Amino acid sequence: MVRVVVGIKWVPNTQAVRFDPKTGTLIREGVPSIVNPHDLDAVELALKLRDRYGGEVIAISMAPPSAIKGLEHVLGMGVDRAILISDRVFAGADTLATSYVLANAIRRLGSFDLIIFGQETIDSSTAHIPAQVASWLDLPYVYYVEDVEELGGGRAVVRRRLEDRIEWYEIELPAVIATAMHSQQPRPVRLSYKLRAKTERRVEVWDNKVLGLDERCVGLRGSPTVVTKVTWMPEVPRKRQVFRGDPREAVKWLIEKLREEGVLPY
Amino acid sequence: MEMNQPSRFDAIVVGAGPAGATAALKLAEKGYKVLLLERGRGAGSKQVFGGRVYAELLRRVFGDLKDAPIHRWVKREALMLADGDRLVAVAYWTANSTSFTTYLGQLTSWIVERAVNAGAVFVDEVRVDRLLVRDGRVVGIEAGPDRVEADVVIDAEGVNRLLLERLGLVAKPKPAHVALGVKEVIRLSEKAVTERFGLEDGEGLAWVIVGSVTDYLPGGAFVYTNKDSVSVGLVLHLDAAVRGLRAHVHELVERLRLHPLLRRYWGDGDVVEYSAHLTIESPEFIPKSLVHDGLIVVGDAAGLLLSTGLTVRGVDYAVFSGFLAAEAVDCARKEGGFTRDVLSACYEQPLRRSAVYRDIVRRKRASKLMKDERLFRDAVRFAVKAASTIYELGEETPKLAEALEEAERAARLSKLSLALMLIRLVRGL
Repeated sequence: MVRVVVGIKWVPNTQAVRFDPKTGTLIREGVPSIVNPHDLDAVELALKLRDRYGGEVIAISMAPPSAIKGLEHVLGMGVDRAILISDRVFAGADTLATSYVLANAIRRLGSFDLIIFGQETIDSSTAHIPAQVASWLDLPYVYYVEDVEELGGGRAVVRRRLEDRIEWYEIELPAVIATAMHSQQPRPVRLSYKLRAKTERRVEVWDNKVLGLDERCVGLRGSPTVVTKVTWMPEVPRKRQVFRGDPREAVKWLIEKLREEGVLPY
Repeated sequence: MEMNQPSRFDAIVVGAGPAGATAALKLAEKGYKVLLLERGRGAGSKQVFGGRVYAELLRRVFGDLKDAPIHRWVKREALMLADGDRLVAVAYWTANSTSFTTYLGQLTSWIVERAVNAGAVFVDEVRVDRLLVRDGRVVGIEAGPDRVEADVVIDAEGVNRLLLERLGLVAKPKPAHVALGVKEVIRLSEKAVTERFGLEDGEGLAWVIVGSVTDYLPGGAFVYTNKDSVSVGLVLHLDAAVRGLRAHVHELVERLRLHPLLRRYWGDGDVVEYSAHLTIESPEFIPKSLVHDGLIVVGDAAGLLLSTGLTVRGVDYAVFSGFLAAEAVDCARKEGGFTRDVLSACYEQPLRRSAVYRDIVRRKRASKLMKDERLFRDAVRFAVKAASTIYELGEETPKLAEALEEAERAARLSKLSLALMLIRLVRGL
């Protein structure tokens, strides 16, 4: 039996988001939010472990109430329990304040074997949260995990793939891991699971009355990060050069051009 | 872990398009326990349409449309005959609008939201694999390993009727009965749309363009103005396209977007959406029967789309059929059950008696006419040549008769064939 907690972020679909070139900020208006796609790798890995060893998968997310939709999605995939941490005092949090809330919420869940996060989020890509949650809870942390190969007796063997090698770690449980992006194939939602999520209102909502955290440590007040400046990457105009003719000549031409541009070093 | 019978519903609606969403809304309003299923993420994410909805039937079903996501009321129409970089336009301007432009996804979401507020259960991202049949009657649906049962299933799966095909209720579509629609949405500012097209705030336009824009193939291009974007696309009759299309369809759309006479309207805009879908081109697409034991077919799946060559209606017909289906569920319950005979009396017959249905089937001739390849080539060339002879003047000013004669020569048309074409055109439309 395993008990796995999965962290979920509810993010604006960055493929649909546009930037305001004047302010450099995201125009989120009218953009539908989605479950951070890399978190679905984490959900899939958690469900696989539960399917293999039995037990329970609990999804947890700190977000506005609209994220209920996202948690219904992971319930639809087969997650057993979903908790939305939602309170106005949590708004405006940086990664430190967010990880503080998540870690304290996870503590309330009692004993567990693994906390699994996705590699990073598509809207900020800091990859801070798993490391910070591990720090708050004083747990071992391995990232870029492709698979959990063994689990039992208070230990797990996890495999992670780096650019030039594969590493195996034997870690003590409980532990925090972050999945490598695209390392899993998230399963589709099942009608009966999603139906149950919708009709039985299964997403639990925890506000700060439940968690009882010091308001100085959460939300905007608990966030030491200051964004001092956002610079806009200048748009590089395309050169729109076309070569017509013999493919062999085209290759030579292309290599020549890439050298001129300094793309090819020699 | 396994759940065989999660819950039972009075009705299951397959497909959250305008037809399915309307059926779900009206059933929920009547107090039925209804499940609305959608394959895409969110309502309407798999839909494509040209850009315009006629309002009358929607008002009848939804009441006033004050909070509906209406972009612009269409007050300017034009038919354009394009031959290369010349075109003849016939325009109709009015202060009285009967149709509006919108994004279909927004309109459908608006209906689904109302349905959910009325108590319907909406589940997206679930593909229905087949209709569940027991003793020859439809009793529910199968989605992956799950089955959900209901008294009646409303099939609103759209033009790709995989469920009905699997049950053997309809055949695969024939190329002669469908067309391929391809569309780009080009984002501009609201002000740019209003000013460039000579509109007032909230006013919109609809153009149909035939001729060289489709390589003279049966079909046509369309332009609709949305709030802060323009929908530009074309529809090609599939059989003619298979036979005669030389370029790839997306090249035709690109050519249209970059057309020397038209690109000034939107050439600096961003293409924010590209979509393609099958659409219905013939009343022969309508299934032989629109009901079966435990099953009602609505919207595109029922073939309820009318393309006259000048106008296209589908969304309002879909809404209308969804509305009728909900009424039929009420009626069938009172009449003793969801058998084919009862559903036929409660849904199919009222639908077949409606003006909507009669208008669709009496366009059989028009749909033949729309397949006349000479009409899209010779008639367009004739009209454009005549106009250019009349308007592009040097030293001489030809008489109208001379211009027409020259156009006949250019289009290689005899007076007789021209006259016949005109007669067919008037009778057909």
